[in-house]
Amino acid sequence: MISRRTIVQTSLAGGLIAGLAGFSLVANWWPKPDRDEEATGWRRIAWPFPRDAFPAGRAWTRDGTEVYVRPKLGFCGNCDTGVVEDSEIDGKSDIDLLDDKFTPVREGKRIQITDLAGRARLYRIKKDGRERLAQGIAVSLNCDLIVAVVVGKVDDDAVARAAQRFLETNTVQVWLNAALEGK
Amino acid sequence: MTRRWLSVCLVSMGIAGSIANGASAQQQKVGAAPEASNMKLVGWSDLQARSAYQPTIHKQGSRFIAYVGHHGGTDDVPTPVNPMTGQPEPNGTSILDVTDAAHPKYLRHIPGAPGKYEDGGAQMVRVCDGAQLPKGDKNAVYMLRTYGGQAHEIWDVADPSSPKLVIRLDGLRDTHKNWWECDTGIAYLVGGAKDWRTKRMTQVYDLSDPAKPVHIRDFGLPGQEPGATGQVPTDLHGPISTGPQGNRVFFGYGTNKGGVIQIVDREKLLKGPPEPTPDNLRAPEVGRLLMSAWNGAHTVFPMLQMPIAEFANDKDGKTRDIVMIVDEAILNECNEPRQMIWFADISIETRPTMISSWTVPEASGHFCQRGGRFGAHSSNESMAPVFYKKIALIAWFNAGVRAIDVRDPYHPKEIGHFIPAITDKTDKRCVKVDGQDRCKTAIQTNNVETDERGYVYIVDRANTGMHILELGGEARQVAGLK
Repeated sequence: MISRRTIVQTSLAGGLIAGLAGFSLVANWWPKPDRDEEATGWRRIAWPFPRDAFPAGRAWTRDGTEVYVRPKLGFCGNCDTGVVEDSEIDGKSDIDLLDDKFTPVREGKRIQITDLAGRARLYRIKKDGRERLAQGIAVSLNCDLIVAVVVGKVDDDAVARAAQRFLETNTVQVWLNAALEGK
Repeated sequence: MTRRWLSVCLVSMGIAGSIANGASAQQQKVGAAPEASNMKLVGWSDLQARSAYQPTIHKQGSRFIAYVGHHGGTDDVPTPVNPMTGQPEPNGTSILDVTDAAHPKYLRHIPGAPGKYEDGGAQMVRVCDGAQLPKGDKNAVYMLRTYGGQAHEIWDVADPSSPKLVIRLDGLRDTHKNWWECDTGIAYLVGGAKDWRTKRMTQVYDLSDPAKPVHIRDFGLPGQEPGATGQVPTDLHGPISTGPQGNRVFFGYGTNKGGVIQIVDREKLLKGPPEPTPDNLRAPEVGRLLMSAWNGAHTVFPMLQMPIAEFANDKDGKTRDIVMIVDEAILNECNEPRQMIWFADISIETRPTMISSWTVPEASGHFCQRGGRFGAHSSNESMAPVFYKKIALIAWFNAGVRAIDVRDPYHPKEIGHFIPAITDKTDKRCVKVDGQDRCKTAIQTNNVETDERGYVYIVDRANTGMHILELGGEARQVAGLK
């Protein structure tokens, strides 16, 4: 017959092993910051949106600014001209994931992220019960789109530029290039 | 390693090798025979090796004329040479006499808008007789076509060898698949009007006198109208109207994503207040079916009042109003969720219900490895009695055309198919692998149409031309053809 002591010891050992395994799983699952993230201070956060027509993207935060980015394969309305109209940023940039009642603040403007051109537009949104500003970005590579939303004080050019520079780092670009090949 | 393990590994490698060989054996090769079941080739035209979108077959007197809309040119050949003129011409509309289906005769190419792929050409085409249009020239035959993305044009093709431009409606964006009621002249023109938040919505026109178009109203989903804010609903792809008798227009929104099927009261659409306010846009809607975010509604083809054999002894609901919904695959080599066909029972219009779906089994041809797009794109839209409510023909890109028995739309089944052979003119399709283009050549059956004699016309997006087919075996029996 197994003694009570053995049962308790076995249970404790099992619990410890399960706990360590769980911790190891979480530690491995949650990505370590890469060199660019460490250098720039951007911290990866979970993609918070439910599943939709496109695979999940990636998200980062720094100093109250959040960046949400993902590729949308084959979703560019015109493979030759790319993104040239504000209605395309309204409809395709994922700004509706933050707030489906978003309001444009002003007309969009041309933007370039690395060698990809498109448009960016400033919006007013409601997030977590309070009013925020957000910049929707849509740039294209032939028939594919790369979209991003930057939430924060993006009416401040320095904040918007910093987010844009982050989008150009290897942290984002290496992942995007792989994702654009369907990997 | 033990001998037993070695043999297991060798067997596994052998199986893997066979699978790989099976996939590569399915790759199409120039000179190989077409793949077919219950369908056979009758005639063929190379369409001057132009990428083809939509064929429309029209009976003009005793002749059958095929009008084929083309995409713009390719990177390699932006403006193919027309052998009839010796001149390079931007892809536009091919006109062929197909009265003798075995020997289609190329009559004329009308150049389209300069531009490559979706940016140029003249993809869409519809045809009405002047004698049927209420105020048309009785001697004319009118062809409505898109011109690139920026315009719609109407041509008089009474002499299909010598078409004459009647009018152009210009200043649009992304014109696409129109519908034209020949008995009333009402046309549902697809494109992007100024300030609308979508590139594709509907402009309703009275084209009963094609020389004098009358704009009735602009229409779309609430949220697409000028000045709206917030989420932008899915772009329109195309409508199909049942005319004044049926009093319904079925709008399909989306290609491969976020499909919306909108059932609209035609009378209210035409006579309601035309200002594009959310309330006015909502007013004519009778029902709406939202599809998964993974599938679009490229074509919404109505098959109303269908008797369902299984329900024959039921006190109510013996006949059902059905729509067939066709998605559009847009990415090469299966880089997206499967796009296929769906059937919805819309007998209770306010509660449309999806009842079945059908897809080509991928493993039947290793289609994800063949190259190009694999998935549905469009159906025949002819409602001639020979096939209507019996057989639907579906263009399936690298899986060719599929003949589906739809007499029981709750249980659709394939009864024939045809995958044309590729030629040396068939254009490649590429995907990126490790930053480099990896290209394959495969048939890309884009659209299909039928005529009242029972011929099936399929056209290829990858420049392989138009194949004219006839049904055989079980498929022929289902159609009631001798």
